[in-house]
Amino acid sequence: MVEIEYVPTICPYCGVGCGLNFVVKDKKIVGVEPWKRHPVNEGKVCPKGNFGYEFINRDDRLKTPLIKENGEFREASWDEALDLVANKLKEVSDEDPNQVGFYACARSPNENIYITQKLARVACGTQNVDHCARICHGPTVAGLATTLGSGAMTNGFDSIEEADFIFCIGSNNMEAHPLFGRKIIRAKQNGAKLVVADPRYTPTAKLADVYLEFKTGTDVALLNGMMKLIIDEDLQDDEFIEKRTKGYEDLKKVVSNYDMDTVAEIAEIDKDKLIDITLDYAKADKAAIVYSLGITEHSHGADNVMCTANLAMLTGNIGRLGTGVNPLRGQNNVQGACDMGALPSDYAGYRKVADQETTDWINNYYGTNLPATPGLTLVEMMNAAHAGDLKVLYIHGEDPVLSDADITHTKECLANLEMLIVQELFMTDTAAVADVVLPAAGWGEQEGTFTNGERRVQVLRKAQDPPGDAMLDWKIMEEIAVRMGVPREKFHYESAEEIFDEIREVAPVFAGMNRERLERPEALHWPCPSEDDPCEPLMHKDKFAHPDGLGVFMPQEHKGPVETPDAEYPLLLTTTRILFHYHAAMTRRCKTLDNEVKTGFIEINTKDADKLNILDKEIVKASSRRGEIEIPARVTDDIKEGIVNIPMHFSECAANMLTNSDSMDPKSKMVELKACAIKVEKME
Amino acid sequence: MAVKIDDMYYAYSANDEIASKGEYGGVVTSILKFLLEKGFVDAVVAVEEAADLYDAKPVLITKPEDVIKSAGSIHCGTLNMAKFISKYLDGARDMKIAVTCKPCDAKTIRELMKKGKIIEDNVFMVGVNCGGTLSPIPTMKMIKNEYGLDPAKVVKEEISKGNLIMETEDGEEKGLSIENLEEEGMGRRPNCQRCDMKIPSNADLALGNWGVIGPLQGKATFVEVFSDKGADYLTEVINANIINVEEPLEKGIEIRDKVNTVMLKNSKKQEAADFEGTTGDIIEVFNEYREDLSRCMKCYGCREACPLCYCDDCCLETEGPEWVPGGYTPAAPFFHLTRMVHMVDACTNCGQCEEVCPSEIPVAKIFATVNNKVKNTFGYVSGIEDDTPIPFTQFPDRGNK
Repeated sequence: MVEIEYVPTICPYCGVGCGLNFVVKDKKIVGVEPWKRHPVNEGKVCPKGNFGYEFINRDDRLKTPLIKENGEFREASWDEALDLVANKLKEVSDEDPNQVGFYACARSPNENIYITQKLARVACGTQNVDHCARICHGPTVAGLATTLGSGAMTNGFDSIEEADFIFCIGSNNMEAHPLFGRKIIRAKQNGAKLVVADPRYTPTAKLADVYLEFKTGTDVALLNGMMKLIIDEDLQDDEFIEKRTKGYEDLKKVVSNYDMDTVAEIAEIDKDKLIDITLDYAKADKAAIVYSLGITEHSHGADNVMCTANLAMLTGNIGRLGTGVNPLRGQNNVQGACDMGALPSDYAGYRKVADQETTDWINNYYGTNLPATPGLTLVEMMNAAHAGDLKVLYIHGEDPVLSDADITHTKECLANLEMLIVQELFMTDTAAVADVVLPAAGWGEQEGTFTNGERRVQVLRKAQDPPGDAMLDWKIMEEIAVRMGVPREKFHYESAEEIFDEIREVAPVFAGMNRERLERPEALHWPCPSEDDPCEPLMHKDKFAHPDGLGVFMPQEHKGPVETPDAEYPLLLTTTRILFHYHAAMTRRCKTLDNEVKTGFIEINTKDADKLNILDKEIVKASSRRGEIEIPARVTDDIKEGIVNIPMHFSECAANMLTNSDSMDPKSKMVELKACAIKVEKME
Repeated sequence: MAVKIDDMYYAYSANDEIASKGEYGGVVTSILKFLLEKGFVDAVVAVEEAADLYDAKPVLITKPEDVIKSAGSIHCGTLNMAKFISKYLDGARDMKIAVTCKPCDAKTIRELMKKGKIIEDNVFMVGVNCGGTLSPIPTMKMIKNEYGLDPAKVVKEEISKGNLIMETEDGEEKGLSIENLEEEGMGRRPNCQRCDMKIPSNADLALGNWGVIGPLQGKATFVEVFSDKGADYLTEVINANIINVEEPLEKGIEIRDKVNTVMLKNSKKQEAADFEGTTGDIIEVFNEYREDLSRCMKCYGCREACPLCYCDDCCLETEGPEWVPGGYTPAAPFFHLTRMVHMVDACTNCGQCEEVCPSEIPVAKIFATVNNKVKNTFGYVSGIEDDTPIPFTQFPDRGNK
């Protein structure tokens, strides 16, 4: 007789963190069904939620370790592969710990990520550990920590339903965070006014009461213009500024140069529209800012972020329901990956590496001898590999060949390593260029926790065994650490729960998260310092997270993109995500999602297409100073003239063949994924 | 003793443990356990509490001792059991099952039986009366905000005399007018508010507490028999001394009838409000709901949740002609129009489509509006076992043979 079981879990795609039920038939995942009891999404999901499980039992899952010999992979035993990896890591890190680096996986449960940074710090003695937040919401972490004292979304998702006015800039949440998009729909039904500012007339923009088209990369000017107008009209919240912030005079001075005419010219906007939007934002009782990668993925990403925080503080729109600065985190557990200390500058719970006392505490706790000097960021590790300074890179479930800027550069960097180790579910573009590939358990095959964008730490449940010899990530890493000479008791855990208990000791923001509280569908938001703390999502209620409790205005000047269009490369390329895909290794292996969108496309304005004599669906050549691709055109009025867009998921026509890796944000080490100059031509 | 169609009883379990854990005498649990024990069925399909009172999951039970886990009612159990049977149990093709069903489950199972997607001979439908179900999260919010109670402390909800009553573990009881709550957009799911069947007369048996008065009030269940299969199995259960039965009080039968009539009257009122201002003509309805439909994010959730959408190869995903082009949102209006043409005659107003919609589209209301027109035009009532031909599947026979 058949056995059927529903196993509740959390979706592995975006940072909204929807709940769903696996349907497990005879110990295999065969489908998903709504989990209506889940507080975030109430049983509703997007296309990825409905079909994103289809990759799990594919035949091309990695089932055995692989070692590359003479350019070809061969199957290997776990012992052989683990020995090879451990010996190399030991040899190179003994020589100099800065020669090894780790990419943690922001799709993976917190427990795996914690163990990745522990492997780096404890077994290799290096601070070189980072993950894809660097090129996603790294600027949020940096920008909001500087202004508000904490680098996270200030409010819970539900809060948006209470807003009177929503200013959404650089977020196409109806595609990228669809179940947050639903909350925006509900906010509108509750009477909120929605404004969307974006170079593209996105599905989110189509919901808006007012859509403001503006030029990619001019966010600082636009936001400064809004602030100047608010101050000129005396609409700032003087009491809030006085009691809860510092640096207001500096802000006033900087924004004073951004009058509406100047802003209109820089951002190529309809000035009157922006004036109306600004006055509405300032006058609303509860106004919320929602943003995402449109703000962060720039060489001035942290500047953009700080301007959103400045605007919210200027009008006292923070610390209350319906207000706040609401960055929508990208991947399902990118919040967690930051929280777990997969950052070269932070240990778990954002305890600072640079602080000697903290590093002393960590050295004492782990029995290590780490320096109080931050390690290399993701982009810096790549560049160090290029320069020959980094010799071994251990990539846990990320695919930088596809997702980092400038693929040619990335491949050169990786080729220059002595050893590239990739721990994966599938043979990704990155795994293909590795020296050793370690097959890991995936979503549905392990216990653990994901932390969504509103800091809600949610429990995952195992529904089936991993295929073949694939192992749990943290067990793979335990075996490597032990082979490197770390006493097993330091790296041995009976369960993911035991790892989480250690995290509670290392990171005080999780201390109050006992299992019983976590197991409820509501789960818990951090900060959760004690077991009797309610751990609710709203932050900065009475004071900001800086030691003195004050928010800091950090005024910024407009800089714009590093690379701007010129005669040779006349179009400005932005890159995006689409509703039906996310991590390409997973979604492109889901039959239904692949059927929906099989390959990439370049969106180009109808007028630009006319000039180039390009028709809809025609294959065109797109090129930049870095490389060129062939890609079908999508001719549309839904993108600003002069701007083109390529979704980033498709390696056969990869946006990142064109993007610019030589464009680092000094404050967050982000590279400019959302602006570079390209040209589009008809094929010969 | 031999039970016949249309017989009515007050019944309660002869097993004390079941009588106390199950509601109103634990009759449903007793029947299911007996059928499984004696091999009348291979498995029981029922609903079990998962995380808490607000979290219902369908379960396939094969061990008699596990049946007790499904005891008790769960008003947030807004599932459709027909989908579970057709999608995950291959329509009970190779197994005999007993399934607990609300009226909308029973209706949908009947529709799927007519289409050969569920095998009638293999399914025994234990119907339970239903005044409506509530979606979990909105209900928890309502309990917190309107009742001023901690949802985690509520142990039971009940609809009685027009009130929705919450009972806490400390014995506190609070009732609010369901009409007022629903006017404010809370309470039962919108499809439940217009539901036209409260006693599942299309199942084999219908059980519920309505009409149980006198000494057995609160301790027994009212059972009505609707089919030969229902009569046969109930006979077996009674003769095996698994449940005790008594003649219902005359007054009790009247009260049950009155409860049913009042509820149906309220549903009619809601239906009138929901369908107001439209003839139900498909073109007109699509025009009216254009704005809502324009938010569709093409999650396919309505199709996935719809128990009557069962094509193996769905034309919404075909490559050409591209009526609904892949990758574009909002989905082309044809998306919903196509689905509607395929199943609106059979639509049972079960509400699954609307409950899973991430774009807040009143999908069930849209479909119910058109289904109502089908009903009025062709006289076809979905979910009922009768000889009326399915309008978009068969033409009526002219009788010339």
